[in-house]
Amino acid sequence: MKYRLVLISLFLFSMIQAQDKLAINIIQAVTELMSPENMKSTGTQTIVTSSGKTRTFEFESYMGGKGQSSLTRYTKPAAIRGQAFLTLNNADDIWTYFPRTKRVRKLASHAKKQKVQGSDFTYEDMGSGDVFMTKFTPKSQGEEIINGDICWKIELIGIPEQDPPYPKIVMWARKSDYSPVKLDYFNDNDFNSKTLLLSDIKIIEGLPTAMKVLMVDHKEHSSTSMETLEATYKWEPPKGFFSERSLKK
Amino acid sequence: MKSWGIILLLPCLLWAQPEFFGYFESEADVMQLGAEKYSFGYNKLRVDLETRPNDNVLIGANINVQQYWGQTTWNIYDFIPGYANIGSEMNIHLPDTILLDNVYMKISFPKLDLTIGKQQISPGVGYAWNPTDIFNAKTLLDPSYEQTGVSVIQFEIPINSRSSLSGVFKPEYNWDNSTKQAWLNSGLGRFDYSITAAEYNWESTRGLIYQYESLENRSLAGVSIVGEAFGWGLWSEFAYNHIEYYSGPEVWVSSFYYAPDVDFNEIVVGVDHTFDNSVYLLMEYLHNDYGKSVLDELNIYDYLFSLSGNARSLMQDYGFLYLMHQTFDFVSLSAIAIANFNDGSGSVGPQVDWNIYQDTNISLQSNFSWGADNTEFGLQDWGLRLRLSSNF
Repeated sequence: MKYRLVLISLFLFSMIQAQDKLAINIIQAVTELMSPENMKSTGTQTIVTSSGKTRTFEFESYMGGKGQSSLTRYTKPAAIRGQAFLTLNNADDIWTYFPRTKRVRKLASHAKKQKVQGSDFTYEDMGSGDVFMTKFTPKSQGEEIINGDICWKIELIGIPEQDPPYPKIVMWARKSDYSPVKLDYFNDNDFNSKTLLLSDIKIIEGLPTAMKVLMVDHKEHSSTSMETLEATYKWEPPKGFFSERSLKK
Repeated sequence: MKSWGIILLLPCLLWAQPEFFGYFESEADVMQLGAEKYSFGYNKLRVDLETRPNDNVLIGANINVQQYWGQTTWNIYDFIPGYANIGSEMNIHLPDTILLDNVYMKISFPKLDLTIGKQQISPGVGYAWNPTDIFNAKTLLDPSYEQTGVSVIQFEIPINSRSSLSGVFKPEYNWDNSTKQAWLNSGLGRFDYSITAAEYNWESTRGLIYQYESLENRSLAGVSIVGEAFGWGLWSEFAYNHIEYYSGPEVWVSSFYYAPDVDFNEIVVGVDHTFDNSVYLLMEYLHNDYGKSVLDELNIYDYLFSLSGNARSLMQDYGFLYLMHQTFDFVSLSAIAIANFNDGSGSVGPQVDWNIYQDTNISLQSNFSWGADNTEFGLQDWGLRLRLSSNF
């Protein structure tokens, strides 16, 4: 009897280990997909408030070093034209540029939680890189069907020592190509505070790319959609591109 | 800039089919100053023109058309306590203006950015005060308002992704009188720092009273640092200044007007933080050796230096606080508080900003002062400002 119990325990343990290894592999694949070496894109961002008011922005965005560095510059509307922000080290370091005063400000880490232009995205949400790999422990939660696609369901538990952006994230990624299609973000009270929905996934230069991204804030009852108008992964950043110098251009 | 500059430059810019953008801004103010209540304001149209002949060249210009209304002539002595006045009237008139605020060309080489022309220079990391900024004097009730351009040659040489060497040269009639400032910018860990040195001349306000030119030869060595500690943004800006008075009629170099060389330090320390409830807090402290520490020691020059921007502050020790919260959809509530720790006066200004439509903002700002009537802020009672702006 004892021998059987040990065997069952070993089997369960190895199953959990295998599941965790699967989860790690999936997150690795998702991270690789979401963090191409370089990317240049243009897009629109539309904020819809709880009262139905909308504001629309247009921007150009540059990403490098597998998502470690990014530079986003607003091109419309007129009031924020030229405003830009630079993130380095997976958004650990953020600088913003205000063209009206020609001033660059370095933001402290508390600002990572601030909404970008009043949207439902924080500076931290805009950064990507290997944050899922380094700041979370993934656990496989089986499979679910989202919008007709069979998806892996992965629970990401934040590693407190790594200062994760959220204590917990639940991610659904398509089994066919590891494209994430939904992410639920949880706050300290284990409340699903925000949901990110990725849709209209197109193959651009061999890489599946979500052309539409919608962030829904369940607490504020607002949402922000981002639509990619043009994107290329073949862009090569000039040497020293991700710097204050480019921010001010 | 003289009108011939506009006449020459505008056709060139227009020929280059630039992008046009800018804003219209209208402001109405009411202010209670002693027994008098003043109303005044302006309508301002700013047109920005920008063209990029190629990826490495940017040509830009900003034209301000500003029309004042209400009280447009101000007696400086109304802003100076009676005991410090040595006259009864020193009027400044605000005429309607058409100003070529900026006109510049930026050329980017692989290892050099060169910007020539009238352009905004905004050095320093402080929000309300910038001891290392020799070009601008900020308005404490609106420190982030755009500054007027300065005619300079500016260069920036990138050393690596985080370090650069930059400099500004403002030519005058000879080298000695020209303004020179250089910065070495770099970073260490989570901190960015900048070391700067400058040499420049300012026309001293002391000459205003008796209508003579009095130049101060100034030099500055400074350092600024910005980073974070314990989740709070943290910055500091320090400047050591040396002033050498070298011109002015000999007759005024008497015991009363004699102005020996002066060495003084200015330092700003600031922190900011966004709390979990999204309230943003910013605090700054300024210490300025050039200011007076005791109210009774203030004289007319101290007030004139302060009002004209010749001195960064009237007295030595100040605090600045800014609180902001995005309370409703596109509506933020904020407040600015300024305190003069030496004379015990101060001012608090609650503000509402409403992004009423895309590209259109309306803001209502008030300020209420405290302190005795002979103190810096106590001299004023209250003010109300309504500002409407729309970008295009």
